[in-house]
Amino acid sequence: MPWLSVGEGVRIPFQPGMSVRDILDGTDHRVRSGCSGTGACGLCLVRIEQGSAGEPTQVERLHLDHASLEEGLRLACQIIASEDLRITIVGRAPRPGWKRAVRRAVKEYGIFELEEVAAGVVHPLGIAVDLGTTFIGLSLWDLTSRRCVSDRQGVNPQAEHGSDVMTRLLSASRSEQKARRLQELAFEAIGEALEDIGLREGINLEQVVRIVLVGNTAMLTLLGGTNHELLLKPRYWTLPIDSPGHWLQRWPARHAIHPGASVWVVPSLAGFVGSDLLAGVLSTEMTEKSEGALLIDFGTNTEIALWDGKSLWVSSAAGGPAFEGAGIGCGMPAERGAIFRITLENSILAFDVVDNAEPLGLCGSGLVDLLAVLVRSGRLDEAGRFLPTIPADGFVLSSAPPGIVLTKRDVDTIQRAKAAIATGVQILMAEAGQGGKQIKRLYVGGAFGQWLDIANAQQIGLLPDIEATSIRLCGNTALAGCEDLLMSPSSVKSLERIRGCAKVVNLSDHDGFHDSFMENLYLRRMKIG
Amino acid sequence: MSVERLREALLDGDQNRAVLEAKRLVDGGAPGETIVTEAIEKVMEQLGAKCTVEQFNLLEIMLVGRAVTAVMKGLFPEGAPCATVKGAVVLASLEGDVHDLGKNIVKTVLTAKGIGVIDCGKDCSLDKLIEAAKRDNARFICISGLITSVVPQVRRVKGLCLARGLGQIRVVAGGAALKQSTAQSLNVDYVAENAFDGARYIEEIVEASL
Ligand code: B12
Ligand code: FES
Repeated sequence: MPWLSVGEGVRIPFQPGMSVRDILDGTDHRVRSGCSGTGACGLCLVRIEQGSAGEPTQVERLHLDHASLEEGLRLACQIIASEDLRITIVGRAPRPGWKRAVRRAVKEYGIFELEEVAAGVVHPLGIAVDLGTTFIGLSLWDLTSRRCVSDRQGVNPQAEHGSDVMTRLLSASRSEQKARRLQELAFEAIGEALEDIGLREGINLEQVVRIVLVGNTAMLTLLGGTNHELLLKPRYWTLPIDSPGHWLQRWPARHAIHPGASVWVVPSLAGFVGSDLLAGVLSTEMTEKSEGALLIDFGTNTEIALWDGKSLWVSSAAGGPAFEGAGIGCGMPAERGAIFRITLENSILAFDVVDNAEPLGLCGSGLVDLLAVLVRSGRLDEAGRFLPTIPADGFVLSSAPPGIVLTKRDVDTIQRAKAAIATGVQILMAEAGQGGKQIKRLYVGGAFGQWLDIANAQQIGLLPDIEATSIRLCGNTALAGCEDLLMSPSSVKSLERIRGCAKVVNLSDHDGFHDSFMENLYLRRMKIG
Repeated sequence: MSVERLREALLDGDQNRAVLEAKRLVDGGAPGETIVTEAIEKVMEQLGAKCTVEQFNLLEIMLVGRAVTAVMKGLFPEGAPCATVKGAVVLASLEGDVHDLGKNIVKTVLTAKGIGVIDCGKDCSLDKLIEAAKRDNARFICISGLITSVVPQVRRVKGLCLARGLGQIRVVAGGAALKQSTAQSLNVDYVAENAFDGARYIEEIVEASL
């Protein structure tokens, strides 16, 4: 892949054919903008320092006079990059709380009927939201041209009140005030993301006539502001829980969208099977075929779905946010400075860092690589013990400040996270009477981006041993499914079919859980029958 | 007298013809206000349908914009001596908003009425705007908003003024994206229907305090 360099330190790999503005939008180095990249606003100024950016377009000539063009000034949205390029950002946007998501394959949707409120709106828009425990993702769609207009991804600010769902549920059920606060935080965050889209893309949000939102049950009850206390009782984990929607009336006024907009919070299936998993299943279309398939949606709460041709066996494994880079001393989200890939070359560790910046820590895929490589090179045994030659503090990956050290405790946290997930997979397979051979496809969603090394993940037992060509890294399947629900009425019907054939499995109810869990703590291949 | 021919000339982006048509109207006794509200504003509304993501033609809009500016120059020649400067007004389009045709009309109209205007331009941050208001001892802050996404910024202006001890400043909003809202919902003192309406509001207050 070619590289886009920004100033001296930053290098960003990109897919040729993208505009410079779109490439920057996925990073912390956004250029200013006030239109959707049509060339209308003239705010996205960059200077070309090195490389060829092609001839200025007619639009650029309208905004920039001859002297400016001579000086190398250009509009980032008008430059389609194909080769290495070095630029300086002239109009720099403030550091974003919200980023563009990595573009997934865009689906084609058929024509559908619009709600009545859309009648007077020139360009009716719709929004899909995935309200995750750690991240919030959303995308904005033009309902008539059926194209994705923009998207954003950012951190769920509720994390200040606990990184895992249990802590948040507890604090919400202790005081009414806390519950309100948590509800407000999620609400405000979605509003901020919308404001960012409105301002940066020059989009009139009053044209938004439809919102669809998915999430895990805990997030939905916290957003609804009721019933979150039920989730603290194990017997509700396999029962449906309502998240009443009367508060939804406030949405249009608060976020300045169309006053008559319809808001649909897709109900979850059970206490620990949220509508995010249902949406994920929907997006993979795994239940449309007769062959067996498995979906693992990695997150703070990893949700797992197994399709055996007739029934959909679903469960969730509370592995914690280790693979999202949280709760690990040397972990971090996949942001600038995160090591996302590690390889062993002639017994020397080589790593790739987001933005090619100074390494600050490891994101999920980097952690998986590191563990696999340490085990392969004999520095870590399968039980998670370092060789005696390794310092007591842990394995030092980089000693330059702030220092990146993988401690015994970090290894332990990761072991427990992956053991919970592997156990979930095994129990679901046992319940469904399915063996490894019957699984023809494995969909990997959530936390891990495009960089997860499948062989390494299989080596440490994070993914089952399934032919690599049958494994799909799908990214955010929940948001993709939510978009299906926003954009295609037939998906709404499919979702009901999925609900109808789902069988909820409570892992902790299972006799063999404890034994399997202990067995799965080892950093070795996952056993599937 | 019909403004139809002026509208056509503007829509064609024909600046010379537009200036001639405007002059013909003025000679026939049409007030500047009619020309702005009946011709300029109506034409831009028609253009608005084209200013969308799908059929966007920047050149076409820029040409019309240039014709509008030329007509305004013809109506209110610069340097026309005005007796006294009554109370300073700070004027801007806010951060992220690059529309300035409406703002420039407001500036022209206010200046012609002898009101001093400090123009902070388009895409102006709230900091810069309020700094200017403080420095120049402004009595009014005028905001022109053409895209809805600046509304949250508009709502913050009064609070920021208060925080810097500028609570006495009146905030006036106008422009297509703001004029459909109430003063209360925008947290401003007045929402102007058009440039002349805004100018009347400002004049009334200035005169009442003389
Ligand atoms: C011309 C134009 C442009 C030009 C601007 C050129 C320039 N130098 O100003 C260009 C091509 C650059 C442009 C760009 C875009 N535009 Co444009 N543009 C318009 C258009 C067609 C006309 C606006 C105009 O000049 N009107 C004429 C003036 C005279 O009217 P006015 O501003 O309302 O002013 C009068 C009164 O309101 C009053 N007034 C105005 N301000 C104030 C302030 C005070 C204090 C007072 C007292 C009075 C007052 O005085 C004036 C005379 O009476 C409108 C369509 C429309 N219907 O408004 C769209 C429109 C404003 N644009 C729009 C959009 C979306 C864009 C883009 C984002 C396009 C895109 N999707 O890529 C970009 C980027 C904009 C940005 N970030 O700022 C939308 C805004 C939607 C919304 N509500 O948010 C509109 C409404 C088009 C539409 N129907 O979708 N645009
Ligand atoms: S002109 Fe490039 S983003 Fe508006």
